[in-house]
Amino acid sequence: MNCGRLIGGAALALALLMPGTGAAQGDIEAGRAKAYTCLGCHAVEGYRNAYPSYRVPKLGGQHQSYIVSSLKAYKSGARQHTTMQALASTLSEQDIQDIAAYFASRGPEGQ
Amino acid sequence: MKHCIQCLAALLVLGAGLAHAQPIGDIEAGKAKSQSCAGCHGAEGASDNPAFPMLAGQHADYLLHALQSYKNGNRQNAIMNGQAAALSEQDMRDLAAYYAAQDAAIQTLERRSANSD
Repeated sequence: MNCGRLIGGAALALALLMPGTGAAQGDIEAGRAKAYTCLGCHAVEGYRNAYPSYRVPKLGGQHQSYIVSSLKAYKSGARQHTTMQALASTLSEQDIQDIAAYFASRGPEGQ
Repeated sequence: MKHCIQCLAALLVLGAGLAHAQPIGDIEAGKAKSQSCAGCHGAEGASDNPAFPMLAGQHADYLLHALQSYKNGNRQNAIMNGQAAALSEQDMRDLAAYYAAQDAAIQTLERRSANSD
């Protein structure tokens, strides 16, 4: 049995399973500065989206990779929301990773 | 006298309804309907798989909007479009109420945190 290959495979499997260890890793501190605009809606308790009217989602403590996929979907137009599409279109890949890392770090247990 | 008590009871029920925002659906019914959701979103909406969003404590009206969007196709996701297609409006309301009522895994961001701490 090739021990090196086994260990290599295990390391690869671990790397794939661990969130936030991939190439595009977000920087929480950079995200804190970049998230300023987001907070105008997402940091106001009970703030309502104009139309259709529903409260904007809570994002503090949400999974980083879910926030990344949401922002990318807004940026590409796959997910529809006028304000979010406009905002996401201005974000780079690194901006998206940083903002997502910052939001994910602000959960009820991460204060 | 009996009539009076009935009136009072009706007023109390009305008052309680006004004091607390009307729940969007039936929490208990939502719990019963949440079995298939739990596979990805966790037992009580606190998913431990980062690919699937935390639902526990999310706003009920946002969750309802998300489910309606998946059902009508405005929001595209291979898994969720299929799941939502099978749900009635009442199912979606009950599920939204249930997940909103769970111990919060997520919270509104804090504005001050952009500049301080």
